[in-house]
Amino acid sequence: MKSRFLTALLVFAVLNLVVAVVNPCRGKAADFPEMTWTGWAVKHYIEGPKPNVVFLGSSLMLVPLDGVDANYLNRKIDGSQHHSSVYFESVFKKLTGADIRTFIFALPGEMPSDACLITRNMLSGARKPDVIVYGVGPRDFMDNLLISPCASDPYRYLSRFGVQPSLVSNLMPDWTDRLNYEFGQACYLYGNKTDLVCDATRSGARQIERVLPAPPGTKFTIFDRHRLMPDYHPWELSKGEALFRPIPPDQKIPFEDNLTEYRKRYATVKWDMFVSQMQFLADLMNTARKNGTHVVLVEMPITDLNRSLLKPYAWKAYRNGIKALAHAKGATFINLEDSGKFQTSDFGDTVHLHSRGGQKLLDLIAEKMAESRATRVALKLPVENDKEELAGRMPALPGLKGAL
Amino acid sequence: LLFNSLQYLLFLPTVFLLFWVLPHKLRVPLLLVASYVFYMSWKPIYGLLIFGLTLGNFLLIPLIQRAATVKAKKWWLGLVVAANLITLGIFKYAYFAVDTVKESLTLFGVNWHAPHLHILLPLGISFFVFEFIHYAVEVYRGKPLVKSFMDFALFASFFPTQIAGPIKRYQDFIPQLDIASKFKWEYVDLGMQWILMGLFKKVIIADNLALVVQAGFGHPENFGSLDLWIITYAFAFQIFFDFAGYTDIARGSAMLFGYKVPINFNLPYLAANVSNFWDRWHISLSTWLRDYLFIPLGGSRCGKWMVYRNLFITMALGGLWHGAANHFLAWGAFQGTVLILHREYVELLKKLGWAEKLHASKLYHVVSVILTFHVVCIGWVLFRADNMTIAWQMIQKLMLAPVSLLHFSAAQLSVLQIRDPIIFPALVLILPVLMLSHVVVNFLNGKKIYEHPPWAVQVVAMVAAMCLLTIFTPDTSPRFIYFQF
Repeated sequence: MKSRFLTALLVFAVLNLVVAVVNPCRGKAADFPEMTWTGWAVKHYIEGPKPNVVFLGSSLMLVPLDGVDANYLNRKIDGSQHHSSVYFESVFKKLTGADIRTFIFALPGEMPSDACLITRNMLSGARKPDVIVYGVGPRDFMDNLLISPCASDPYRYLSRFGVQPSLVSNLMPDWTDRLNYEFGQACYLYGNKTDLVCDATRSGARQIERVLPAPPGTKFTIFDRHRLMPDYHPWELSKGEALFRPIPPDQKIPFEDNLTEYRKRYATVKWDMFVSQMQFLADLMNTARKNGTHVVLVEMPITDLNRSLLKPYAWKAYRNGIKALAHAKGATFINLEDSGKFQTSDFGDTVHLHSRGGQKLLDLIAEKMAESRATRVALKLPVENDKEELAGRMPALPGLKGAL
Repeated sequence: LLFNSLQYLLFLPTVFLLFWVLPHKLRVPLLLVASYVFYMSWKPIYGLLIFGLTLGNFLLIPLIQRAATVKAKKWWLGLVVAANLITLGIFKYAYFAVDTVKESLTLFGVNWHAPHLHILLPLGISFFVFEFIHYAVEVYRGKPLVKSFMDFALFASFFPTQIAGPIKRYQDFIPQLDIASKFKWEYVDLGMQWILMGLFKKVIIADNLALVVQAGFGHPENFGSLDLWIITYAFAFQIFFDFAGYTDIARGSAMLFGYKVPINFNLPYLAANVSNFWDRWHISLSTWLRDYLFIPLGGSRCGKWMVYRNLFITMALGGLWHGAANHFLAWGAFQGTVLILHREYVELLKKLGWAEKLHASKLYHVVSVILTFHVVCIGWVLFRADNMTIAWQMIQKLMLAPVSLLHFSAAQLSVLQIRDPIIFPALVLILPVLMLSHVVVNFLNGKKIYEHPPWAVQVVAMVAAMCLLTIFTPDTSPRFIYFQF
């Protein structure tokens, strides 16, 4: 060949093919270089017993679930390690007499796109739960701060278990993300670089440890590292980093004003993102139905303060959208926004319920689930009455009908 | 567009293919369009800035040549240089000027409510403004004009060198545009070799060192004296490999079109004195400063104190060119000062009659290299620190190194305690290897096996680079350091 570079390129291509056939990274999807909220949840889900009920959602769901358990158990709860709602299990048992096992797959910042990947990759097959309880808020569908669905920590982790071709366009609306993905598909070394870098780093670390062992009494912790290098592995989360503390009943819980943050989140309604996240929600429900898992969609309460930041048409589109989807896909819909049970004093900020508000939330969800025939059937509980909770059935939103 | 992005991986081959498919007369327009696309992909409006400056200079500079008298020539040159510097000043130094005035007034008890400026520094402005000034001065000195606007516009905006140089000379660049060269595989081989080498320097070496440097310069209070020396060495190599990597990619990209652009580095950390360091570091800038600032100020052809003044002014302004901040000015002033001290030292040796004997000794050379490297490193602290307070804090700690060495134990090194990322402890092994790489390249330079390695060696090296880059290129890589200038 005339060119050395072209020869090198050809050798590189052949090498890629050979490595792809050997596939040294096979079966390493669950072995991630650093543990994050998603990493811990995936690890515990795979290693733990199969749950009956899985909670999905963003911090709107996560914060009350963990906060309530900290109060209920009267001890500190490590968010990264605590993956079942002890309080919910006990309330549900009181209501139905049934022992259920829950798993919290709610993650900070989780979008419907992430929940969809969790459902497809984790909540399917032998480990599929009986019921998915998914708490959603308007932010999940219209967050200006989200660069792209494939820029989230859950995507980074869960895409390792596979990205279904039908989801690719919605997950990567930006052409550079798509290019990156396609390049990863075509080039084994690029597509599997996370695993290869991880192996190289671990092997390097072992060699370094041999040649230059850490001085005795080394006290450098991950907290020191976060302070020194805030941009290095920003999503990494180690044990003991996310603690929920019990709050005594007489202690006043401060209210944090996070409206500035939400002003940015709601600044402009990106309709393409809204529609694509609705499509992910629809996909989640389709997947669950195919798996024989019942979905309980919870419209999470938010404060009037937060709601006032949303443009009326965005608020309406969100509410109609989730309601229409829930009914169209046969999910149980729990509307807590209109329940009238939550006051601003139940919230730690303008969207997150604190532990006392969270207790109300879990009580209400447990109550509705205990009443719901569909949920009881899914959980194989005796059906006591035929009362169906699908009151207020809404016609599907015309604008979304075709898209979903 | 960043050189280390997937977009560039698409952009460059596209332009390359079009360039060689198109007839010669369409190649310059193609590169011009590509260069503007490259520039405007960041902020389209700044395309107007570079175009406006190009047009203005193209129309005004011929007036220097046409002026009848020397006085008139000087007047037109002054106007052109001032126009370029004012543009640079507005975009680059407005914040600095306002802050400096505000701080000065505060010293006198005046509380001035400074206007809030919204100026974004256009990428590469320091580089193309210097190229315009170079052209204007050369025309003033009697060199020929560039006839074609297209050629002139491409000279200023040529995408491989647009953002961070090397600062080109028009006499070298423009004639290359007229040559109707035929495609040669040699261009691809050499160009891609440089590009791969540049990416390796940037992504594999500089970006990893950046982790340590960021932590050290961000929180010097967490590190001891010896740690800070190691971190400073790390920055010395980070900035070298970052900028040399950029330059290699720029030169390689230009080579794909058969164009040569100047080199910027020649093993700078093997310099035996500070003057020699400036012959080896950012060569296109240091020669520019020499030709268009130091010499016009009077250069070396004047009295000793005037030469020192010229040196100091040149280096201080060179420092300020890097960025509108006191620590850059201090870095430039430091370089000027050590250059003056070096001249004094040489004079002293000559007077004592030891100069020749000493210079001939190998031991003296080795000690000089080590000493020069450390002086340069102290300069880098001023350069890299976010402000003078941090720089001063670091320098004070660095000076305590002899005390720390007296009761040295590995346990006192924080870099050994941090085990993740492993680059921290690995530095103790990597830094000597990087220094040694200078020595090895120096040894190999000029040898046939290095200049023209065997076919198989070159192919294996390129495949290895491709594999390493494919695997180790992070999802987000820090920008090239010199992009901010």
